Amino acid sequence: MHRKSYLTAFTTLFVALLFTLWPAPTAQAAEKTYTIGTDVTYAPFEFANEKNQYVGIDIDLMNAIAKVEGFKVNIKPVGFNAAVQALEAGQIDGVIAGMSITPERQQKFLMSDPYYKVGVVMAVKQGSKIKSLKQLKGQRVAVKTGTAAGAYALSVKDKYGFSTVTFDDSNNMYQDVTTGNSVACFEDSPVMQYAINTGMKLSIVTKPANPTGYGFATNKKNTALMAKFNAGLKKLKANGQYTKIVQKYLGTGSKKSQAAANKKNQETDRSFWGLLKANWGTLMGGLQETLLVTIVAIIFATIVGILIGLLGVLPNVFARGISTTFIYIFRGLPLLVLALFIYTGVPSLIGTKVPAFVAGIITLTLNEGAYTAAFVKGGIEAVDVGQMEAARSLGLPFGKALRKVILPQGIRIMVPSFVNQFIITLKDTSILSIIGILELTQTGKIIIARNMEGFKIWTMVAIIYVVIITLLTWFSKWVQKKVQAS
Amino acid sequence: MTDTTYRVQMQDVYKDYGTNHVIKDVNLNVKNNEVVVLIGPSGAGKSTVLRMINGLETTTKGHILIDGADISQAHVDINHIREKIGMVFQHFNLFPHMTVLENVILAPVELKKADKAAATAEARQFLETVGLTEKADAMPASLSGGQQQRVAIARALAMHPDIMLFDEPTSALDPEMVGDVLQVMRKLAQQGMTMVIVTHEMGFAKEVADRVVFFDGGKILEQGTPTEIFDHPQEERTQAFLNKVLQA
Repeated sequence: MHRKSYLTAFTTLFVALLFTLWPAPTAQAAEKTYTIGTDVTYAPFEFANEKNQYVGIDIDLMNAIAKVEGFKVNIKPVGFNAAVQALEAGQIDGVIAGMSITPERQQKFLMSDPYYKVGVVMAVKQGSKIKSLKQLKGQRVAVKTGTAAGAYALSVKDKYGFSTVTFDDSNNMYQDVTTGNSVACFEDSPVMQYAINTGMKLSIVTKPANPTGYGFATNKKNTALMAKFNAGLKKLKANGQYTKIVQKYLGTGSKKSQAAANKKNQETDRSFWGLLKANWGTLMGGLQETLLVTIVAIIFATIVGILIGLLGVLPNVFARGISTTFIYIFRGLPLLVLALFIYTGVPSLIGTKVPAFVAGIITLTLNEGAYTAAFVKGGIEAVDVGQMEAARSLGLPFGKALRKVILPQGIRIMVPSFVNQFIITLKDTSILSIIGILELTQTGKIIIARNMEGFKIWTMVAIIYVVIITLLTWFSKWVQKKVQAS
Repeated sequence: MTDTTYRVQMQDVYKDYGTNHVIKDVNLNVKNNEVVVLIGPSGAGKSTVLRMINGLETTTKGHILIDGADISQAHVDINHIREKIGMVFQHFNLFPHMTVLENVILAPVELKKADKAAATAEARQFLETVGLTEKADAMPASLSGGQQQRVAIARALAMHPDIMLFDEPTSALDPEMVGDVLQVMRKLAQQGMTMVIVTHEMGFAKEVADRVVFFDGGKILEQGTPTEIFDHPQEERTQAFLNKVLQA
């Protein structure tokens, strides 16, 4: 086969495989289905219960409204920022994520009537001497990105003379305060109350400030969905269902009633083994996704890497240029930036959604593929030039000489790099938690968002990674021996 | 094909590496069954000329014809021409991941000159020619330099070449290995193989060469029969070179 037709065949294969991974468009149901984005860690508004099902005030409210208004929802816990970006990019239809109604947001999106009234409170470590904003002078304060509470903190930062440190989810923000890195954090009142009642060792020291309401957001043009939401909310408030939902998660406000409410959604045994047992299924589900992403990504990245690497050694300036450019760009881009670019940036460019799994695979394929290409190219170039000359002098065409003489020797040089790259790919899947893929790291985040047991759960997650990487290393060593022996 | 047919014709050949002119106006013709030995100091361009004959080096100017076909023309299939030209390298360049036998049969089988069984049978004959029948299943790394070079010769012969090029075939060998390799080459010369040899083995050159070509500074300075070159060199540079190498 000619070189160019190899390339065409490969491209066709790659595109075909992508489309098989792409979920087929569901048949038009009688009821319209809306995709709604939400946060992963915003108890009691949204969190995974111990059965790893998404529950919370936002989730129950959204489902109840959908029921009374006659539509279907597909709720995706992708994280607050990712949800807002996905809404902007048209990847999803709406966001319900404890989102305060602010003038800026009303300019960008349609915001519903407030469904929950909140204010910003300041919380400090239990037993801390800090009791007011005035005492924050010269101190460090933790805030969460993109939140109204965070915006409030920034607005009073200069007045009270404190500095801020930003986190992506609530749990990390709380931990920064309990570990003493920051002296206080700002959070919406019900969320803070829930965390404290669930065992976070913080105390609320201020009265709710900047009272606002939480609202549901849609794209500016989506007036139909917005009208349904507002109408549904009114009905639920009138028939008492709304109060029931709130009390289900927050009790009646006391610690005791909170504990009773939590029992329905929380682990009762808080020891390491108790937590491990309760979360075993969830963690294994995360591990399964991690392995699936890893394996698919390794296959694609290896194919792409070998082809791009081979382009880099062809006696053709254009082919080598493609190879060098590919390696330069995708090895240079941080994985996180690439993932966000493909998941939230590309859809606004091409106008279609990119499912998180597909975006994740493309991200890893490009990044790991670039590294693979670099060592494939290097491995081939490391083979003595005399080998190619000897093969060509016998009359073997370039392709045959490459396949029969150069590659078998180059692969031996490359094997350790392949093993290394497989392990790196496995670890890099954790970065895909940023686009909401429910792999092991994301699973850990979600469990912690519910039970606030950061240390124990991260220990479990770390151990699982180490075990899997150890197994992968053993397997690779075995393969390496086989290759070197042959 | 008669004996007067030129196997190789190099016409006004130049080769530049940037501003460095390594080959200047070389005209060299090799007749069928002729053994031509290229001698001269290091860097004189002997190896480059040899490598140009099978297209491992391109020409900057001029023409190289193999059996009348100009290899610098786009429509000429260089792979097809190389099948007819065997080459033996200073550092053997055996394929280290294949056995001796696999090295020898690779090209005939891949280029469909013979099926595997026939190629294997023939390869054993070539290994016998070079005196290495018992090493057929050995890996190259387990052989001595001299043995590796003889395998390399068998590998080149397996394509039934019309011309054999030898690029300093004994320079990388321990002295006690040189004799075996030269013996194989002598046999080939006696069988009428057309050969172009770059070597520093003057005794061997004198013995087997039909013609000796002296290179200096990228040019042919002088050529003739071994007697003419070794016993009555005309050029001062040739005399100086021969004095040096024959004294050593």
